[in-house]
Amino acid sequence: MTSAFSWIAADETAEQALVRIYKKRPFLIFPPPFHRLPLRAGNVVEIVGPSPSAKTLILIQAAINCILPKEWKGVSYGGLERAVLFIDLDCRFDVSSISRALQRRIIDANGLRRSSLKGNGNEYDKELFVSSMRRFLYTRCYNSFEFLATLKTLHHRIQQEKGGSAVYMLLIDSIGAFYWMDRALPTSSTGNNNNRKSLSLQTVVETVVQEIQRLLVAHPMLVLATKSAAFGDKQSITEVIRKRPDEKMPDPRDAQNKPHRCFMPSVWQSFVSHRMLLRALDGESKHQNRPTFSTEWLLPPLNCSDHFTVNDGCLLIPK
Amino acid sequence: MAPLEDLERDYPIIDSNFRMFCASHGIFTDTDFLLHDLSALEAFARQDYAPDKLEQGIKQMISIIESGQRPWLNGVELLEDSQLNKCTLSTGCEGIDILLQGGLREGHVTELVGPSCSGKTQICLKSASHVARNSLGKVVYFDTGNSFSPKRVAQFLSLLSDPSATQTNKAVERDMSSIVCHSVFDIFTLLDMLRQLMNNLRSQISFQVRMLIIDSLSSLIAPVLGGGGAHGHALMATAGFLLKEIAHESNLCVVVTNHMVAGEAGMLKPALGESWKSIPHVRLLLSGKYSATGTRITILKHPYLASGKSADFVVL
Repeated sequence: MTSAFSWIAADETAEQALVRIYKKRPFLIFPPPFHRLPLRAGNVVEIVGPSPSAKTLILIQAAINCILPKEWKGVSYGGLERAVLFIDLDCRFDVSSISRALQRRIIDANGLRRSSLKGNGNEYDKELFVSSMRRFLYTRCYNSFEFLATLKTLHHRIQQEKGGSAVYMLLIDSIGAFYWMDRALPTSSTGNNNNRKSLSLQTVVETVVQEIQRLLVAHPMLVLATKSAAFGDKQSITEVIRKRPDEKMPDPRDAQNKPHRCFMPSVWQSFVSHRMLLRALDGESKHQNRPTFSTEWLLPPLNCSDHFTVNDGCLLIPK
Repeated sequence: MAPLEDLERDYPIIDSNFRMFCASHGIFTDTDFLLHDLSALEAFARQDYAPDKLEQGIKQMISIIESGQRPWLNGVELLEDSQLNKCTLSTGCEGIDILLQGGLREGHVTELVGPSCSGKTQICLKSASHVARNSLGKVVYFDTGNSFSPKRVAQFLSLLSDPSATQTNKAVERDMSSIVCHSVFDIFTLLDMLRQLMNNLRSQISFQVRMLIIDSLSSLIAPVLGGGGAHGHALMATAGFLLKEIAHESNLCVVVTNHMVAGEAGMLKPALGESWKSIPHVRLLLSGKYSATGTRITILKHPYLASGKSADFVVL
């Protein structure tokens, strides 16, 4: 009888539970463009935008914030000093982009004069650079099955990394990279062949979501995934809107009102806990080749958008 | 997608018992194994009458999957690989080289997009001759529209060689023999040849190839794109990922060309649509206007250079 009562006895009060959760998985405010909402391990953030917008750049900036230490030799960098896993599904990542951005960040934090990168005058702490780059782990997958295999074996890999507590972020570049290839997967013709799972986009995405969920239970991480999206209605290829030369071009600000279509199956859409939309704004600062982008939180919906410019691989928030 | 029977030769633990157990859960090939929930499978195995062998079989399958994977690299190893293996190849046109800070990079898929007669084929031929002359390696040229001109390549090579050298003809012949040209007229042949090339490079049968040029890729893909089905886009994505794999794993520079189609308000836009935009590493736009200083080339997308930068160049 005592065992039956122990079932309904309380483990802890709500206050104790909250304190424990906030200590183990604290809410963190990340630097812009994530500064409006606090994020914690276990959240899945999707960054949606057309191509090209600065999605990969945002991932790189988030990675740099994670791999830098909080303080090094008296200079404060404000980082988390945790490892970052980067799964490159787009297979377009170039390591020069992160190495340049990291060097620039170290030099800026030290307040040294910014010499040109080709010059030999830039003295930055190479030891710090190397130790930070060691925390950046990278792999690439060329099709969905390689991606699934990577996810299935990720558990062991994380445990190899200093006992498994050191990885904080999982960055996936372009979750929709294999969308078209998976849509055209050959489905088995013998549909009633003893409960075999048919190969299709749906089953692949379901398995991906399942594996990531299982991973998050064992190793709580913040997941950031990018996705390229098409705006507005699908234009058929034969239809071309012809405008007379004296008519004005459609106002680009109209594009902000068109909703974006999400093409991933609903299993992924319901897995995502936060969604941010990126848009390119043209015409504002065409001079000096500084493209401007606007970010807007779609989930949870905040009715404000921030702007930032990209200057030589760095995100700048104009105030 | 290998059936489980094939694995029995190398791994005798995957015997008929194990295969029957897998078949009862709908697993017949190794891809089915990837799609399945492994912990549920292990739970079922424990309830079976021979749990140890089945669990060992599952562990063996997992280790087969692990061994077939690419290793995780950290940032320092990535930098080393990039500095050692991925050099920059000059295109032979000074304006382009200055814009791209050295030239075309190995490991990148570079797309040249522009209206007709803007100089895409000329840049391809010039880069091919330059690479054949300066680097120790071959150039593979896939020609889809019979635009490869050996006379033009010979002209470029003879311009490059030292005028005082007596062995000009022999040098030109030797360099031209490192440019291998194939005619490709449909997407399926292209995929076939790309896979063959990848296998050859992996097993190091052919000489070291430095550059792969496909002129023009869009004329192969545009006919299959369109319509409601997903197959056209799937073929384009497959070709794109194959090119990226060849470029990265074998340290090659891949150059593809694309044409332009009508877009909104009568302006031209690159062909192949939105889904193609995320495939090449570098996209360069050639403007059709020919000015006294040359043709204008603009960066549409680059991993670390600012897009929008442009320069003028001439192809001699």
